[in-house]
Amino acid sequence: MEAEFAGPFEGMADQDRRDLLKVMGAALAMGGLSACEGKPDSRAIPYVTAPDNLVPGKPRYYATAVTFGGYAQPVVGTTWDGRPVKLDGLPGHPLAGGGSDAFTQARVLELYDPERSKAVRRLGKPTSWAAFETAMAREAQALDARQGEGFRLLTGPSASPTFARELKALMDRWPKARWHVFEAAGEEGALEGARLAFGRPLSARLKLDQAQAIVCLDADILGPGPHQAARARAWSGARRAFQQQPGAACRLMAVEPAPSQTGAMAADRLIAAYDRIGPLAQALAAACGFGEAQTTLSPREAQWIAAAAKALKAAAPGTALVVAGFQQPPEVQALALQLCARLAALGGTLALTEPVLLQPPDKDGSFAALTRDLLAGRVDVLAILDCNPAYAAPADLPFAAALAECRTVVHAGLHADETAAFAHWHAPLSHALESWDDARAADGRPSLIQPLVRPLYDTRTIPVLLQTLQGRPGASDRDLVMQTWREEWGDDFDRRWAAALPKGFVDEPAMDAQAEPGPAPAVSEPAASGPLDILFRPDPAVWDGAFAANAWLQELPKPFTTLTWDNVVAVSPALARERGLNNGDVLRLSSGGRSIEGPAWIMAGQERRTVVVYLGYGRRLPGTLADGAGYNAYPLRLSTSPWRVRGDLRKTGRKVELAVVQPQTDEGREDFVRTADPGQARTAKRAKTVSPSFYPDKPQPPPQWGMSIDLDLCIGCNACVVACQSENNVPSVGRAQVRQGRHMHWLRVDQYRKGGEDEPALAFQPVPCMHCEEAPCELGCPVNATTHSSEGLNQQVYNRCIGTRTCSTYCPYKVRRFNWFDYTGKDPPSVQAARNPDVTVRSRGVMEKCTYCVQRIDEARINAELDGRPIRDGEVVPACAQACPTQAIVFGDVSQAGSAVSRRKTQARDYALLEDFDTRPRTTYLARLKDGGVA
Amino acid sequence: MTAAARAKPGPTRTNFAPVTREITGIPLDFPQRRNWWVFFLCACALLALYLISAAVLFWNGVGMWGLNIPVNWAMAITNYIWWLGIGHAGTLISALLLLLGQHWRNSLNRFAEAMTLFAVVCAGLYPILHLGRPERFFWVAPYPSTLGVWPQFRSPLAWDFFAVLTYLTVSVLFWYIGLIPDLAATRDRARSRAAQLFYGVVALGWRGASRHWVRWNQAYRLTAAIAVPLVVSVHSEISLLLAAGPVPGWNSTVFPPYFVFGAAFSGFAVVAMITTVLRRAFALENLVTSRHLDLLGQLTLATGLMTAYGYVAEVFTALYGGEPNELKVLHDRLVGAYAWSYWGAVIFNFVPLQLLWLKRVRVNPLLLFLIGLSAATGMWMERFMLLTVSLHREGLVSSYFNYVPSVWEWTLFVGSIGLFLTPFLLFVRFVPMISAFEINEARDEGKTVDEA
Repeated sequence: MEAEFAGPFEGMADQDRRDLLKVMGAALAMGGLSACEGKPDSRAIPYVTAPDNLVPGKPRYYATAVTFGGYAQPVVGTTWDGRPVKLDGLPGHPLAGGGSDAFTQARVLELYDPERSKAVRRLGKPTSWAAFETAMAREAQALDARQGEGFRLLTGPSASPTFARELKALMDRWPKARWHVFEAAGEEGALEGARLAFGRPLSARLKLDQAQAIVCLDADILGPGPHQAARARAWSGARRAFQQQPGAACRLMAVEPAPSQTGAMAADRLIAAYDRIGPLAQALAAACGFGEAQTTLSPREAQWIAAAAKALKAAAPGTALVVAGFQQPPEVQALALQLCARLAALGGTLALTEPVLLQPPDKDGSFAALTRDLLAGRVDVLAILDCNPAYAAPADLPFAAALAECRTVVHAGLHADETAAFAHWHAPLSHALESWDDARAADGRPSLIQPLVRPLYDTRTIPVLLQTLQGRPGASDRDLVMQTWREEWGDDFDRRWAAALPKGFVDEPAMDAQAEPGPAPAVSEPAASGPLDILFRPDPAVWDGAFAANAWLQELPKPFTTLTWDNVVAVSPALARERGLNNGDVLRLSSGGRSIEGPAWIMAGQERRTVVVYLGYGRRLPGTLADGAGYNAYPLRLSTSPWRVRGDLRKTGRKVELAVVQPQTDEGREDFVRTADPGQARTAKRAKTVSPSFYPDKPQPPPQWGMSIDLDLCIGCNACVVACQSENNVPSVGRAQVRQGRHMHWLRVDQYRKGGEDEPALAFQPVPCMHCEEAPCELGCPVNATTHSSEGLNQQVYNRCIGTRTCSTYCPYKVRRFNWFDYTGKDPPSVQAARNPDVTVRSRGVMEKCTYCVQRIDEARINAELDGRPIRDGEVVPACAQACPTQAIVFGDVSQAGSAVSRRKTQARDYALLEDFDTRPRTTYLARLKDGGVA
Repeated sequence: MTAAARAKPGPTRTNFAPVTREITGIPLDFPQRRNWWVFFLCACALLALYLISAAVLFWNGVGMWGLNIPVNWAMAITNYIWWLGIGHAGTLISALLLLLGQHWRNSLNRFAEAMTLFAVVCAGLYPILHLGRPERFFWVAPYPSTLGVWPQFRSPLAWDFFAVLTYLTVSVLFWYIGLIPDLAATRDRARSRAAQLFYGVVALGWRGASRHWVRWNQAYRLTAAIAVPLVVSVHSEISLLLAAGPVPGWNSTVFPPYFVFGAAFSGFAVVAMITTVLRRAFALENLVTSRHLDLLGQLTLATGLMTAYGYVAEVFTALYGGEPNELKVLHDRLVGAYAWSYWGAVIFNFVPLQLLWLKRVRVNPLLLFLIGLSAATGMWMERFMLLTVSLHREGLVSSYFNYVPSVWEWTLFVGSIGLFLTPFLLFVRFVPMISAFEINEARDEGKTVDEA
């Protein structure tokens, strides 16, 4: 018997204890190795020697950064037992404080993306790093011989000091090599404007916190992008001052061809065609006493110009700001900058700095030059790092075809994307959360990027790859970054490095540049060459396509449309009436012989002849999340005119069903988003209205939790939605389920328009659970699965829930979400690793909803009880409030009169949603303020 | 008409045999074997569809239905209320009319009660199928759980559970108690050993002794007395499922009576349908006479008019109250996305109903059947309208969302007709479908079959 079954235990008895430990040690090491390859570790081995300060079951927080558009987005990452599960704005950073945006919030899922590239490929076939390194070493030898002739580097935008140092070293070694930058949704147009205005390319940094009057000329300063969190945080500071101090002003005026979040927040929003912005800018300058207007204004335009000029002139010196969008022609931007200079904004609301992003040597058309050189056969080795030009190149640059002319194309990226398919070699890149790196934020402050987890797969960072390309494999990313800062700091390195790492950034902002404005540039209204203006916009959810693999972002309802999983061709209501278009009608857009097809969406508040297409969709990557979603707008784009072409559209007769979260946005006669008069709102207190009841009030011992959402500050950026999803393990359900009305967001941002669809007022309203004191859901549940806590929370007990859905039926706010299917069980293991262990993952057939982040309340309570004190005001911050870049959401104890939330709720503009249902919600809203000017 | 039916009461003892023979003869010597098998196999096919739909549902989850977040109650609850409404007429006819001494009920009560039973079973399964986690439905019951958690007694659903269960229990008891003497009569007339054994066991040893009859009378009338208030309470309770929620269009005190009237209306409509079919199929014109059809028509008309009053009252209250949410719901009902269900309900319920004012129509079995079918359809639409219209545009504009039933909801509904018909056909085949002894009793008291 023993002989028969000896097998694996053979000789075990002979081993002494020391040998056994050796075997176990080997198993441990191999367990670690296999973890690197992404295989789940089947053996759970407790620490023999735990890392310092590690308490199992306690999260740890690290300051680091992710990059977006080249800029660092400083973050603090939460890790549980070595797994990063949540990212938030870095509280100490002067730029956005603790605020963040939807993209930053979703980056943690990107780390665990099961579609990430995991191995080196040669001609599409998996191979090893060794093979790649050998091949690159051979290439490097050959390049040494000809001083780098024929070597080209193509990267995305970068503001990394380490990259800059390495690039310089590379150029020193190979002087004939060249570096090019490709950015599909970049703001390089803004540098052009500055060059026209000041004679050299400068970054204009908006200091909105000081602004009393802001005029946006087709500039979506509060819209999605790398600057959103920072600008929103700054603007909210100015807006808050206006809310509180009599005599303060924060007036936002916008003119734009298509609705933007900035336009939605503006006190006066003028709708004007893309080409009309220039003449209007000139008229505004003239009205401010600068130059002459050369256009005749319509009465509405004249009224808007007069109001904008009045606001600018009324603002205190250095507090007025005129911004022209980077999509506008450079002359218009230059005019706006010069107007700023005239309004004494320089040094006040506007700071000029040298560009924070590294500038490639040939400033205009860096990418166009590369394509030309490729076609001319001047490129021998091309390394494409972290960008996807084969997908996103404009139509007039046949980049993908030109790659055939290059002998060796190396691609490195998070995904084996379209460009990887054209490359001879593909190398997987490390995610920012598993790398050592650095990058400057938009204000020039360098952030140190430190890994929160060991690389999940065998991947490399860009600085390491640059070494590999030069035939020096095996470099350590940490050493490369340290070397950069050792050179920078010299002898002081150790102290400063140790100080900067926990802080996450180096407090050295970019220095202000001195520049004198030149003469006003001529602005002309170009002749029309097509019936319609086709404008390009990065998608508010997947950006230029870089986030197409991110399910949280794909399922994020986009501002105004609440569309998920697709992009649309936004047409104006007038055009839709004229051409008989309906939502979902597939349109054929053509311009200059090129055409694309996409579904129509009637966008209320869009200019008559304007059509907006969104970048980032139409990926054709079989087997991936993004495959087949939306249409690709890049084939209509021109490198010479990246943001606007003229063209026409016609119906194809086909129709698609879009996945829309909120089919109706017309508020009608309802009054969900209220507005208030600023003067009254400042002085008056809210009248206490308590409806009569037969029953005595429930006792309310402290703490009693409540929330206040300031609609005057909500810019509809969706950061809260993704933060909630990340914090609370909210599943993504896919396009088909969203179409059926089954999205799972615990917190949604309702979109409303008031007034006709041609010129509506636009508003956003975040709606979490109201935590009603008289909650109808609690009445309805037959099994006590939704109950009221002594602290006023409306609780959902998942394991008691049997799924009668009475609670949701009775909920007037419809904030409850139901697990119609098993939405979580089939998640790949890597996605499961992104979950917050503090929050239960819900199974099929149970109801779920916003908990006010009860896990954070509990954590605060435990800490307070350990210290023997009550929970402090502001100690509990739900994920939505933490993420909100404008701090529109405030949470706290409503039973304490002095708490921030109580102070808000005593304001006259505090109101409850659907008050006549008499549910006494704990979540209340602050009405939007009219005007924004000096009362 | 047979001689037995025309028999006048005489000074001598009434001859019970003809009526008993005719009724018990049906299960013992079934006259319509071929047709019965055709119907039974169709019913079994529908039942199979039901079982498949339920299996698909349990395997994949309630997401197989077309529900979404504003409309998370729709077809299943519609069918639940509809079946339960149908299940009302049986007990109403039997118990209430028994206590009121209306002997004409004797020709109708047995199969009407059977209809009640099977309809309540169809209804009662729906709330369970509809659950997210159906395997835990018993948590609604107040049992001494180790979890230490009781049902939430404020919830209409908890009371719903009691109401339906009580109603089912009492209906079964009432039906079975009423059946015992006839089962014994069937036993006594059975010729095959198997039939003798079967009817012998289910007759529970009934010998027709005076002592038996005394006990039986007590039990039967007591159960009837319990059953009558249940008829009212069950559907009142069901209405609270809707009326207790702060949902415009539901939150109304008129709902309990409105629902009871509607339930009785749909119940009588279905009883009328079943009566005409059975009467024709088994040539029971001597026992189920024109007068019975006439009375059924009158009852249907009366309860239909009461339901119509509910409609008028709802519209009037909304207009007179002028509450914006109620006005919006009224608007949505009349011209919204589901206006077909409102107008369908109005037309199918009340337009053909008006023909019942005419006696000629009431005694015409075909017309009565069609009017009953129309009312049953209309009442289904009414329940669908009540649920869907209110939920799909409730509260915040942002949560407006339309509902489209999925194919699995339709198959489950069509299949539930099989769930009803299969046991009903078995009942028709094996159980005396009309109360022979009660007719005889009435005849003995000097009444004609028309009155009996």
